[in-house]
Amino acid sequence: MTYRLVEFELSKPPPAIELTPEENGVGLIGRWNDQLVGFEMIAVHSGSTLSAEELRTLADQRFAPRVLIAMMEAELTAGGSRHKPLPSLSIAICTKDRAERLSRLLHSLDAVRDNSPFGQVEIVVVDNASTDSATREAVESFDGIRYVFEPKAGLDFARNAALQAATGALIAYLDDDVVVDRNWLMGLAKACSDNPGAGGFTGLVLPYRLDTEAQIYFERRGGFGRGFYRNEFRGSRFDNPLHPVGSGVLGAGCNMAFERALLIELGGFDEALDTGAPLPGGGDLDIFYRVLRSGRTMVYEPQFAVYHEHRETIAQLRRQYWSWGLGMMAFLVKSSRSDHELRSRHDAMVRWWFVDQTRMLVRAASALRGRDVRFGLNELWGGICGLAGEYDRSCTRTKAIRELNR
Amino acid sequence: MTAPSLPIRHLDLSTMRADTHPGDEAAFSIFWWKELPLGMRASLPEELPFSEAQLRQFTAEYGAAQLSARSPALGAPLRATHEGKPKQALALSQLLVEHDLVGELDRLAAAPALPATQISVVICTRDRGEALAECLRSVTTQRSAPGEIVVVDNSSEGSAKPICGRFPGVRHVREPRPGLSIARNTGIRMSRGDVIAFTDDDVELHPGWIVEIGRAFADQSIDALTGLVLPARLDTQAQRMFQFDKGGFGSTFIPLRFDNRFFAETRPHGAHVWKMGAGANMAFRRNLFERIGLFDERLGAGAAGCSEDSELWYRMLANGGVCLYEPRAVVFHHHRRDLAGLRRQIRSYMKGHVAALIVQHDAFHDRGNFVRIFGQLPLYFLKSFLKGLLEGRRGQPATLAPEIAGYAAGLQFLFRPGWRGKHAPRLLIDGERA
Repeated sequence: MTYRLVEFELSKPPPAIELTPEENGVGLIGRWNDQLVGFEMIAVHSGSTLSAEELRTLADQRFAPRVLIAMMEAELTAGGSRHKPLPSLSIAICTKDRAERLSRLLHSLDAVRDNSPFGQVEIVVVDNASTDSATREAVESFDGIRYVFEPKAGLDFARNAALQAATGALIAYLDDDVVVDRNWLMGLAKACSDNPGAGGFTGLVLPYRLDTEAQIYFERRGGFGRGFYRNEFRGSRFDNPLHPVGSGVLGAGCNMAFERALLIELGGFDEALDTGAPLPGGGDLDIFYRVLRSGRTMVYEPQFAVYHEHRETIAQLRRQYWSWGLGMMAFLVKSSRSDHELRSRHDAMVRWWFVDQTRMLVRAASALRGRDVRFGLNELWGGICGLAGEYDRSCTRTKAIRELNR
Repeated sequence: MTAPSLPIRHLDLSTMRADTHPGDEAAFSIFWWKELPLGMRASLPEELPFSEAQLRQFTAEYGAAQLSARSPALGAPLRATHEGKPKQALALSQLLVEHDLVGELDRLAAAPALPATQISVVICTRDRGEALAECLRSVTTQRSAPGEIVVVDNSSEGSAKPICGRFPGVRHVREPRPGLSIARNTGIRMSRGDVIAFTDDDVELHPGWIVEIGRAFADQSIDALTGLVLPARLDTQAQRMFQFDKGGFGSTFIPLRFDNRFFAETRPHGAHVWKMGAGANMAFRRNLFERIGLFDERLGAGAAGCSEDSELWYRMLANGGVCLYEPRAVVFHHHRRDLAGLRRQIRSYMKGHVAALIVQHDAFHDRGNFVRIFGQLPLYFLKSFLKGLLEGRRGQPATLAPEIAGYAAGLQFLFRPGWRGKHAPRLLIDGERA
């Protein structure tokens, strides 16, 4: 099972897409005047051809409403040529033993860095306790990239190391399993100049490839997608009494940026979250939540886009869903403890989460969708583990890591 | 929903550059593009003021929705799907040649200057003194004057007479037999216009209401019209509960055609005619009443409860009629202020709904109505109950009990002797005397 990813420039007539016998679907990345406006997955018979006519119909149904909004937006912004100078930017990449993927990401950054709208751009790679020198060598093969070694294993240790090492007023974090879109930097620049005073930004995450069943399944089940509409988040919402506790709607940690001074003021990332294998999640939820709680706005900007390499195998994917449940609950346990004011929202979120997961499970079970049931159970089990003291266990573990590296 | 009060404000996005709200209290914002209503949104103090980027985004999203629903070049007019939502008809090839979308929006928003003398406004009232005065003030200050304004006084004492006397040109008609349907039918018989526009005594009209109704009926294919009902105030908990938990009187700002296809799609489970609009803001061509009869006097406030409006739409769709939902025809409704009143209202809504389903079933032998009564509604109660239980949401159980009570009360009509054999009265061409 393989889907081909195809870029579809909607302002031009579509060319027909001929699929090879191995391919049985397409992931269409819709652009209008180079601006990302939609993503659609279409299943077809392997080896068949999507004619220009079919693509046109598809474009009318799925992409046209969003194109109209983009056109309207373009008209409204035309003439408003108030270009304030943008701050300096640090791009931080935390990586561990993935030199190949890191090089791929650095290549994509090379392409966007050349015409940067930011005052100054630096790239900081934090080598998070890699076991060999491949990461360092990969960094050295590129020009002008700073290399920082962080011996304490754990993503949030690395993120904090980047925070200390960086010099930019703004810091953008990228995971090593992504590649940036050609307009990634422009998207971040747009988000910055459109939203003076925002504390942080998140962006669109599209699939890098859809080559395996697990990758296709993951993307179909929602992936990291947060849609093509800009969104602005503040400390509370009329239409969601639990907000900002469900901060997962803001985006994902593989593509996020913050005002650096704000992160330092907030004490950086919680090192007991996102610690790698034992607790591989929750760190992004936690930092989004704390930015919102500090009274600052977070903005989701779809043009600030990356492509994420999804888990390749079903086993890895199962683990991912488990880790989502685990990370979510570890975060909720932590912030329910530290943020007394919103405690009732956290407790309500825990209840809501379990009810929602159960509801999805029941729905999957009654429709005999075995795989959905298994993944649902994994996520639910992760949640139970998370609730059962995982945050405290992780605190103990991180303390031991700190001791060891003192 | 935790806001203590929710002041309503109107924002014209065509001229607005920055939001000046101080962000010290919650607000309910209604967005306009000149005269064109675009959308609404409730915000907590932390969500205010809206940023410039947010305002631009609202403009783009709301504006795009209006363009695709109103600009014939972009596929307008839109038909309603069975969910009562628009079925998009946008074609990219047409879209890409458009160059002046903001200008097009300006053109669409321009208010017409049409005479409206063919329209009769009928307001049925019952002992609502000052509310009626407010309503009449808004009727008499319309941008285009209607042909006539008829107030049907459904009180036993004729209490509306002195209030009508304060407004020149308002006709006071007494109808002492209680019941909103009876009063409305009297209003139809006593009025003369080709188009009869109804509103209620707890409503204030937008100054362009009449002229928008006139514009809509210029399209000869339309038999009926419904419009947008916005909240006039959201000061009390009961008002906010009605608006947000119960969905108010609908919230779409997109014009939609409800026709026989909508009817056919929703018929298997009781045609979803209640999604078409509200009796507080509706109009009909007089000849429709001649064709399909008047309001069913078994239904409506003072009789079974309500749904006399949706039952008439049902009859209209079943007979091939077309209703346009045109949100440009705007009224502001004063929701009940007190919780007890809200509960009574919810109870009577559900009772009337069940009664109307029985009436519809009997008139057209349409089993879908019973599917709604015995399948969909009990399931809806069960779901609301579980939802209230699990999410611990305030308010849900408070409105569920009166709904179930109303449902039970509605079922009695199944067995009431003689009730099911009746029909809606006819409108004879030369009026009541025939």
